Amino acid sequence: MGASIGPRLSGMQKQVLALYRGFLRAARSKPVEERRQIESIVSAEFHKNSKQVDRKNFIYIEYLLHRGKKQLDQLKSPDTVGLSSLSVDSSRTRNSSS
Amino acid sequence: MATGLIRRAISRVHSSPAAKLVVARAHASEAKAHQSESKQQPNIKSFQIYRWSPDNPGKPELKEYKIDLKECGPMVLDALIKIKNEIDPSLTFRRSCREGICGSCAMNIDGCNGLACLTKIDSGAESTITPLPHMFVIKDLVVDMTNFYNQYKSIEPWLKRKTEPPTPGKEIPQSKSDRAKLDGMYECILCACCSTSCPSYWWNPESYLGPAALLHANRWIMDSRDEYTQERLDAVNDEFKLYRCHTILNCSRACPKGLNPGKHIQNIKRLELAS
Amino acid sequence: MASALRSAILRHIRVPATQALAANGSRLTAVRLMSSHDDHITKDEVINRVLDVVKCFPKVDPSKVSPEVHFEKDLGLDSLDTVEIVMALEEEFKLEIPDKEAVRIESCEHAIEYIYNHPMSS
Repeated sequence: MGASIGPRLSGMQKQVLALYRGFLRAARSKPVEERRQIESIVSAEFHKNSKQVDRKNFIYIEYLLHRGKKQLDQLKSPDTVGLSSLSVDSSRTRNSSS
Repeated sequence: MATGLIRRAISRVHSSPAAKLVVARAHASEAKAHQSESKQQPNIKSFQIYRWSPDNPGKPELKEYKIDLKECGPMVLDALIKIKNEIDPSLTFRRSCREGICGSCAMNIDGCNGLACLTKIDSGAESTITPLPHMFVIKDLVVDMTNFYNQYKSIEPWLKRKTEPPTPGKEIPQSKSDRAKLDGMYECILCACCSTSCPSYWWNPESYLGPAALLHANRWIMDSRDEYTQERLDAVNDEFKLYRCHTILNCSRACPKGLNPGKHIQNIKRLELAS
Repeated sequence: MASALRSAILRHIRVPATQALAANGSRLTAVRLMSSHDDHITKDEVINRVLDVVKCFPKVDPSKVSPEVHFEKDLGLDSLDTVEIVMALEEEFKLEIPDKEAVRIESCEHAIEYIYNHPMSS
């Protein structure tokens, strides 16, 4: 997703960037230490997917966007203090808010 | 699985003579069934089932499973469980009560939304099973119900009062005729078969409340004990929330409980005119 | 009597209305004043602070950073990195940049221009 030239982003790319922005904004409302933790997990996840996911696999990108939005909603809740990641198998990591 | 349960139940009441009779009869019919089965050809049916997993995110596909209906219960859910148990444990679907009261196993079977546990296996050679249409798929036949539940929540599905009950601390009585007004609505199990069969809901899944949520809105509007009737009417009186219903009535055709959401939406529209 | 009462009421109604207008007008001028003179930051300061933020970004080679530099073309960043830089700039200048604007900021030049023209940046 990073290879796009200039401001010509597809609607889906815009949604991904907006989601990423949303996560970074939500992280600001958390305590400093948790904030760093959230930022590093979220950044790693987005960068990993930007390299691994086939950019034409719209179904999967939509799935990730949808899952991300739900996770962001959970993260936004003041009751959610942090984020941790759990490695399900060697090739895949999944985030869950706690 | 079902036969196992029956056997266990029988063995528990083994001592009574009546039970012994039942046992004997059960054995007899079982033996007969065995005889006829061995003579007859197996009845193979093919199920085309929608498969997609985020763990292996290729294109979604219809995967074929062949099972012998002679060795399977009568309902689509029986077939799914048989496939999961015996052929492919990775097949993912929701199920719980297997008697049409939990609403978990809503899916699209041969083009119609319904509960797998209440839908008989069609006698045709092939059946196609896909997730509820226009819903986000989490995996295989499992869809994300978040938006649907949030819409249900948005109509505030609980009794709201402005005054104390007639006897403080006690229940609020309701006449038989007032209670009867809730028939055809309270039975809804929120399986989402109706909403996900509605073209209006497909196009505006977030702004249009959909037949299920509107049926429940009407359920509380019509409740004689509720004192927020006007507020409830005002809350749904919206170009999108309510008036995206164009009386297509797919909802009423889809409902596995035989309810008529379209009629209840009409009732809200009628009350909006009167209020 | 009735007309006197009416004019009294009218006057009474008008007074707060003009007051509100005046208050609005003065707030507007205050903003305008801030954006061009007085305590609003100078262009040089904006340039320096923007460049500092960009240079501090871990994936950026500080020696390549100049006011004209393009995040993706010149610094080899991707769109996700650009989001991070714009977010860092938001914090540096205590701004909230809406998504629509944020997408357009793709070089130091854009960033400097946007922040300098933003009335709330500090």
